[in-house]
Amino acid sequence: MRYLWFLLLLLPLLLSPFPYYLTLLNFFALSAMVALSLLVLTGLAGMTSFAQAAFMGMGAYATALLTVKAGFSPWLGLLAGLGLSLLLALVLGGLTVRLKGHFLPLSTIAWQVALYILAGNLVGLTGGHTGMTDLPPLVLLGLPLDTGFRYALFSLLLLAFLILALDNLRHSRLGRALLALRGDALAAASFGVDPARLRLQAFLLSGAIAGLAGFLYAHFLRFVNPTPFSLEASIKYLVMAVAGGVGSIPGVLLGAAFFTGLEDWLKDLLPLLLGRQGNYETIGYGLILALILILAPRGLWPLLERRLPRRERGLPRAEPLPLQAPAGPRGEVVLAVEGLRKAFGGLLAVAGVSFALRRGEILALIGPNGAGKTTTFNLITGAISPDGGRVVLLGREITGLPPHRVHALGLGRTFQHPHLFPELSVLENAALGTHLGTRAGFFQVLLGLHRKEEARALATAYRALKRVGLEGLALERAERLSVGQQRLLEIARLLASGATVLLLDEPAAGLRAGEKRELAHLLRSLAREGYTVLIVDHDMDLIMGLADRVVVMNYGEKIAEGTPKEVQKDPLVRAAYLGEEAA
Amino acid sequence: MDATILGFLLLDGLQNGVVYGLLALSLVLVFAVTRVILVPIGELLMFAPLSLVWLLEGKLPGTLWLALALGLAWALLSRGRGALLPLLGTAGLGLLFLLARGVPPLAYPAVVLLVVYLGVATYRVFFQPMREATVLAFLIMAVGLHVAYMGLGLVFFGPEQFRPEPLLRGEVVVGLSWQGVLVLLFALLAVLGLYLFFRLSLFGKALLAAAENRLGARLSGIPPEEAGMVAFGIASLLAGLSGLLLAPLINAAYFMGFMLGLKGFVAAILGGLSSYPMALLGALLVGFFESFTSFYASAYKEALVFLLLVPALFYQSLRARAVEE
Amino acid sequence: MRRWLAVALVLALSASAQEVLKVGVVVSATGPAASLGIPERNTFLMLQEMLDRTGGVAGRKVQFVILDDASDTTQAVRNTRRLVEEGVVAIVGTTTTPASLGMIPVVAEAKVPMISLAASKDIIHPVDAQRFWVFKTPQTEELMARAIVADMVARGVKTVGYIGFNDAYGEGWARFFEAEARAKGIQVVVSERYARTDTSVTGQVLRIIARRPEAVLIGASGTPAVLPQRTLKERGYTGLIYQTHGVANPDFLRVGGQDVEGTLLPAGPILVAEQLPTGYPTKRVALDYIQRYEAKYGIGSYSTFGAHAWDAWLILRPALERALRRADPKDLAAFRAVLRDEIEATRNLAATHGIFTFSKEDHLGLRFEDTAVMVRVEGGRWKLERTFR
Repeated sequence: MRYLWFLLLLLPLLLSPFPYYLTLLNFFALSAMVALSLLVLTGLAGMTSFAQAAFMGMGAYATALLTVKAGFSPWLGLLAGLGLSLLLALVLGGLTVRLKGHFLPLSTIAWQVALYILAGNLVGLTGGHTGMTDLPPLVLLGLPLDTGFRYALFSLLLLAFLILALDNLRHSRLGRALLALRGDALAAASFGVDPARLRLQAFLLSGAIAGLAGFLYAHFLRFVNPTPFSLEASIKYLVMAVAGGVGSIPGVLLGAAFFTGLEDWLKDLLPLLLGRQGNYETIGYGLILALILILAPRGLWPLLERRLPRRERGLPRAEPLPLQAPAGPRGEVVLAVEGLRKAFGGLLAVAGVSFALRRGEILALIGPNGAGKTTTFNLITGAISPDGGRVVLLGREITGLPPHRVHALGLGRTFQHPHLFPELSVLENAALGTHLGTRAGFFQVLLGLHRKEEARALATAYRALKRVGLEGLALERAERLSVGQQRLLEIARLLASGATVLLLDEPAAGLRAGEKRELAHLLRSLAREGYTVLIVDHDMDLIMGLADRVVVMNYGEKIAEGTPKEVQKDPLVRAAYLGEEAA
Repeated sequence: MDATILGFLLLDGLQNGVVYGLLALSLVLVFAVTRVILVPIGELLMFAPLSLVWLLEGKLPGTLWLALALGLAWALLSRGRGALLPLLGTAGLGLLFLLARGVPPLAYPAVVLLVVYLGVATYRVFFQPMREATVLAFLIMAVGLHVAYMGLGLVFFGPEQFRPEPLLRGEVVVGLSWQGVLVLLFALLAVLGLYLFFRLSLFGKALLAAAENRLGARLSGIPPEEAGMVAFGIASLLAGLSGLLLAPLINAAYFMGFMLGLKGFVAAILGGLSSYPMALLGALLVGFFESFTSFYASAYKEALVFLLLVPALFYQSLRARAVEE
Repeated sequence: MRRWLAVALVLALSASAQEVLKVGVVVSATGPAASLGIPERNTFLMLQEMLDRTGGVAGRKVQFVILDDASDTTQAVRNTRRLVEEGVVAIVGTTTTPASLGMIPVVAEAKVPMISLAASKDIIHPVDAQRFWVFKTPQTEELMARAIVADMVARGVKTVGYIGFNDAYGEGWARFFEAEARAKGIQVVVSERYARTDTSVTGQVLRIIARRPEAVLIGASGTPAVLPQRTLKERGYTGLIYQTHGVANPDFLRVGGQDVEGTLLPAGPILVAEQLPTGYPTKRVALDYIQRYEAKYGIGSYSTFGAHAWDAWLILRPALERALRRADPKDLAAFRAVLRDEIEATRNLAATHGIFTFSKEDHLGLRFEDTAVMVRVEGGRWKLERTFR
């Protein structure tokens, strides 16, 4: 099905009697590539960039300088172009990906404008605004690509390969990780995703794709000057991607096709309509962008997609990844918390809490609101670091380690509000848990060499879904699950990751009675298999019926520990919950 | 570099800096209240003097038609009594412009009102419907509007520069014209006025509240839509007046607004998009920096001003509370 | 309006309409160079009307396909490719130097003759394999620089400051002016640059004033040329101020106002056509153009830039007539080559800006004496200061 994209190659043949439309087709192919670079950067990784044209410019100028000034072959120019784009992306990305929220796109605006001005002013190097002419044509296997027809075939072929590569990316561990990162960095980190590193890699890939587009542009027009690499151009590409639907491949391609045609059509039509010359198409862009943002904020493609028949991906049938079943003697201490302390300013949230978690048991951590349960929870999982005390997991000290490191050692957590990724399917959400268990890097993924591993990862996720009873909904989008099902999905994700110590933060919140029973049933059967569960919750009925042991906190301190029955009778506990009179 | 040249450069930097400062204040205000980064503020700034030139020649500027179109859209989007304001506004504006064709002094308030109306209508028509959108979505919308308005500026006023007559002629001292003094005075008054407005008036305080916490403000009876319109209105007022005062000094052309706005924006970033005093200081810094780099490395001064943005953004991002997007 | 529809229709039917001779025109009708490009475009619109009325050239209809490059080189290159693919016999354009330079490789590869409307000598010199196909009608900066330097010498100026655009126009002027000045014993003591879209040039102007030159030359064109002149005045500069012929249009006077009184500039003689002495060789042709242009577009609307476009047609038309006698446009490649030869064969053609005589080495064809005059801005008008005959 994905190979249908190669049908694009028919277009030059259809259009060959119209040389002008061949030129347009070439511009479409190049714009589509830049739009795909935005798919990676914005659609997958969630970073908006106003600087894609600057990366194009890097690719274009690199090859122009090498071929015109130094007389080298254009293929060397390609290497240089990609290299320079990657270098620029590394420098820019290194600084920029750590910026939060809207600071990131603002800084890309700064870079874009600065580079444009430099390109225009370094007259000795770049020829300034006059530009550089006489770039040689590309020669492929002895055939010079100097006509619109040949170049269109070439660039569309490259486009088709790029589409395949990015489709591979989307359906891989990296694609899932990027989407997770985009939606919720904290949750992604808890699954072993290193946010800064992954973002930088996405930035690099995006820059390289735009650089490639710039290289092709230079050898198509055989002329380079700063104007096509300006802020206006970057905005144009962003508009294409966003208007078409930056989250999907058909979306950005639609946007690129729509605006390439529109641009030219507007240039010819508007002066006819309005009776005089003028750059009216910029007005058109602005207005269309505004309309799309208001009426179809996710772009045009999602509107069209609804009318198309949905393609079902099959259920995974491969052999699941080998995951360690929980091993070791029951009752052995798997998690030890010793004297944990944390203060926020003047408030001592956790004041020296100690307890131990034994394999195969369900331990409940309870206490009134503000007792410090969630803080303790976060201290153990690495979301915040303690001011004092130790946490030891399976014999290894994990005090103060960041969440993804803690996770790698076998401890997994869920969140108070389910941190799921609604655009991914249930299966893909669960598969996120396998992120650390799989290893394919960007190169392998883009080239499609990760298939076997991917199949196994999906199978692992499927098996986890079966374990929690959600396998029937595997291919549904996660946003369609009920709250109870979302909780189960979170647990499935943990299971898929191979974590054997599960920390659940208020898993019963928002659940109906039936769903609570299902949850309790699942947890008990997991405990029987040797999983260890620490659960923080308020629902007394659930806790008392489910937990093997209970730890009670109040005002940051542990005030009681024991079986549910023992704890219920403890006067301190009753005082904490019910007030002094009950004691 | 002798004392006179130093003096010239400082004066020049000051003059430019205060204009950037006014723009920066407007940007910070609008961002604080509505989370919109008002990229088209440069176009609004230029529309004032350009419309003035047209009106003084007895012609109706295209910006009036834009205001009418936006007003119509506004009226259609509002229901019932809400449509009254835009309808009255456009009628009043049209009348004022027709009158001003015969009475030149009326032209000045006419164009200022026009720009304010454009600003408020822009908010109402384009930004208010984007209910709970992210800052990013607002930014993309703002960029789109900037592109559209700049294109319209070209259509309405053509590509050439214009030179409205200065309100005051002559020079105080070589390098500082009376018009320049007017600009400085206006900037001072505007800053003072904003300060008093926020500190002393109930509505000003309410505006700040709406900026801090939209839900809380709404629960206390302050409608965020109103706050948004007032913020945009103030920003347009400042921009329009700045444009009128500045145009005799630098000429006015449809494309000039963007660069001015962008530098005001650099200044606003230096203030973290949240602090007014820092934004003003940032603006002066940008003004002086630009002045001196134009002396020493004229070809690269624009690039350097933008590169100034990078460490500023970096610093801001480290300081900022984690904004969940 | 109907004209555009006609053009569109003919474009669509281009395959069958072989009788029509298509001439491509690329001008900067929008963007910073619009004040130069709009009169050029208007001239061709006027020509189209005239040709439609009189039946064309040698019995064939002529059609101008006019495209706007928005003062941008990339756009110009794209437009050129488009025109070539639509089968034009020649291309006139474009308005600006950088864009014209960008078009050269395209027309050379496609072997289509081109007549540029831009200033720089680099467009036609040296006549190598590519410039074999390129001609131009406006005076080069070199010629105009000669005029300026001659005027400076006459006034006894010894030191000059320069401030110009940071693009090919400003760079070209800097180069040629400095060379000519040095040759005549005038020293350029400071050379600054600024961008067309700058709103302030204080730093650059202060540097110029610090060197106290007796005269300042501003290497710019259109309304952006006013900014440095005004800044110089405001900062107290009292020496002579020269501009280039790129400001010879009414917008400059309008925007400059009082600040540009007394400016000296070289110009094509058509700028002050009525003031030319009787017997000046281009006077009659120039007045004819002015009368036609003003009849259509209004009194005082003509400009020297539109006249360059008119000159291009004055050259192209007889060349077309001669070419049609030798070759058939149906064989486009051969016809274009013959047309190029005939353009090059132009001898002693009286036009609005001078007398054109092309040769294998000279694709500009203008003589200094007939093509440049010095003009001064007086009372908001152009006053003939001196001729060089």
